[in-house]
Amino acid sequence: MSDVVLKNIGKTYLNGFCAIPSMDLTIEEGEFIVLVGPSGCGKSTLLRMVAGLESITQGDLLIKGNKVNEKEPADRDIAMVFQNYALYPHMSVYGNMSYGLKNRGTSKAVIAEKVNAVATMLGLEELLERKPRELSGGQRQRVAMGRAMVRDPKVFLFDEPLSNLDAKLRVQMRMEIRQLQRKLGTTTLYVTHDQVEAMTLADRLVVLNKGVAEQIGTPMDLYNKPATPFVAAFIGSPSMNLFDANLTEKGVSLSESLYLPLPHAHRGSIVWGIRPEHLAIVDEQDADFALEILAVESLGAETLVHGVLKDGSVQGKAMVVRLAGPHNPELNSLLWLSAPATHWHIFDAITQQRL
Amino acid sequence: MTVTFPQKGLPWLLLLPQLLVTAIFFLWPAEQALEQAFYQEDAFGLSREFVGLENFVYLFTDPLYYQSMLTTLVFSFSVAIMGMSVALFLAVMADRVIRGKLTYQTLLIWPYAVAPALAGVLWWILFDPSMGPIALWLGSAGVDWNHYLDGNQAMILVVIASTWKQISYNFLFFLAGLQAVPRSLIEAASIDGASPVKRFWTIVFPLLSPTTFFLLVVNLVYAFFETFGVIDATTKGGPGQSTNTLVYKVFEDGFIGLDLGGSAAQSVVLMAIVGVLTVIQFRFIERKVQYS
Ligand SMILES: Nc1ncnc2c1ncn2[C@@H]1O[C@H](COP(=O)(O)OP(=O)(O)OP(=O)(O)O)[C@@H](O)[C@H]1O
Ligand SMILES: [Mg+2]
Repeated sequence: MSDVVLKNIGKTYLNGFCAIPSMDLTIEEGEFIVLVGPSGCGKSTLLRMVAGLESITQGDLLIKGNKVNEKEPADRDIAMVFQNYALYPHMSVYGNMSYGLKNRGTSKAVIAEKVNAVATMLGLEELLERKPRELSGGQRQRVAMGRAMVRDPKVFLFDEPLSNLDAKLRVQMRMEIRQLQRKLGTTTLYVTHDQVEAMTLADRLVVLNKGVAEQIGTPMDLYNKPATPFVAAFIGSPSMNLFDANLTEKGVSLSESLYLPLPHAHRGSIVWGIRPEHLAIVDEQDADFALEILAVESLGAETLVHGVLKDGSVQGKAMVVRLAGPHNPELNSLLWLSAPATHWHIFDAITQQRL
Repeated sequence: MTVTFPQKGLPWLLLLPQLLVTAIFFLWPAEQALEQAFYQEDAFGLSREFVGLENFVYLFTDPLYYQSMLTTLVFSFSVAIMGMSVALFLAVMADRVIRGKLTYQTLLIWPYAVAPALAGVLWWILFDPSMGPIALWLGSAGVDWNHYLDGNQAMILVVIASTWKQISYNFLFFLAGLQAVPRSLIEAASIDGASPVKRFWTIVFPLLSPTTFFLLVVNLVYAFFETFGVIDATTKGGPGQSTNTLVYKVFEDGFIGLDLGGSAAQSVVLMAIVGVLTVIQFRFIERKVQYS
């Protein structure tokens, strides 16, 4: 049975700003859905509408088959983890975790049992008497998750829960969240603007752009077959190399003098793209084009080479190549590259849709 | 930042007006009172006699003085608690208003600009037993209002008249305090199943406690020392001793009873109380409870 259903959901704020025009999404039980997109695209708005913190101005929201549009947040059986954790500063960790149960009239003995069980699961046993200000960022994060977990809700909502942590802790907490969610099997809606977080956590991803879902699918679907140039650029790091180009009878024309041969029925303006990891260094005679090297980023396990296409045009087109292992090419020298046609991504320049 | 002046004299010159005002209007009278407290003076101020601690002994054996202390405590706590409750209520309402917020808030700040004596006169007219609109309305509702005869009613009147002005001040602080409570905490509490009333008492009110404590001290100090004008304009300490607070008694005993020595001794006691309250307040401000 599908757990959470968004039917033609829309949000227009009081000031007339339409943050979400219309959105359809069906979330299966136990699924981990990540909403991802640039700042201001409406991720938090959508999540807060599901939580009941923001009114729904259009469409229906169903949780376990019941329409909950008008229900108070408390009556939706959801739990939310906020970006700033929103821990009650004057209550101990125990107080924070038990507050929701207490408000629902749970008996003291049951509360103690549940809180202790969750505290053990999250490694918070030693910290139960502490106040939030006496905790580290990572510990606060855990308490916020604990507070959400004790109530055993139908749906977990996360709004950028890791963005206040340092990079290393973020990776660790990411894993923990994923493992916990698998273990508990609770349906989860998770908001982030970090595409690595999105790719690693999600069963399915929703890429939002200006309130519109550009594409919904598994991380690998989105990586292999991005539906639009926006998704292509957003998913994958470093971003896909995208060029405005033309499809002609001679193939893809990146500039007047540079053609990539490809038989294709379509003619006209396109956006042509290839991921940095799909470009390969080859001998000059096998190459599709040459890159003039402008900068090299050595990361140890991989090397990113930034440069411009040498295609005779005055202003070179910027391109990134991702090479496995250490490399040390000379700046301003030429790198001969091949771009295998199986890895091309071609979008219509006008409709912005994949061809 | 440190500013360095080229000449040594300039800072002193700039400070001079403030220092003069302090000396003439605070230090000199305080010194006079301190000295006066150890003398007995005749009613015309022509001769005086050193009497040591006699004024203080007399003061602390006078049952009227203890009664005045009790009156002051009742009065001050009533003013503080009433002023803060009403202000908090208004601030909570103002915090919720979305349209016309500024108008509403400005209106609530106005009373603060009215001089205490003027506010006193205003309430005096409103509650005048024979023609005051509120008194007449109370009369028609079956309450016989006459604060010239009924000590409790007199107390209620001075409390209302004194509270009125303080509400604006408290309101501003409470409103700022409320606006500093992170929205996400309220949202988290509502997801946690707390009703609006419960959210207020279990989350918002505890977070306001630094503001509340600060205002309690400020309001007590106000009720103790700055309500002379209100009392003088409404009840003049009466009927009987029912609204004769410590500060009003200093004036009454000194300028009406012409017991200058006794009045000075009372002033010295008041100075000590101010000192203690100031220390409490500074202590508190220093290690202000901070939530982040
Ligand atoms: N209360 C509001 N009234 C009017 N417009 C709003 C309101 N809240 C948000 N918006 C607008 O709605 C859009 C979406 O906001 P939202 O907070 O959902 O973005 P987001 O995707 O969560 O961004 P971020 O990654 O920065 O958190 C933004 O353009 C924002 O300016
Ligand atoms: Mg957001």
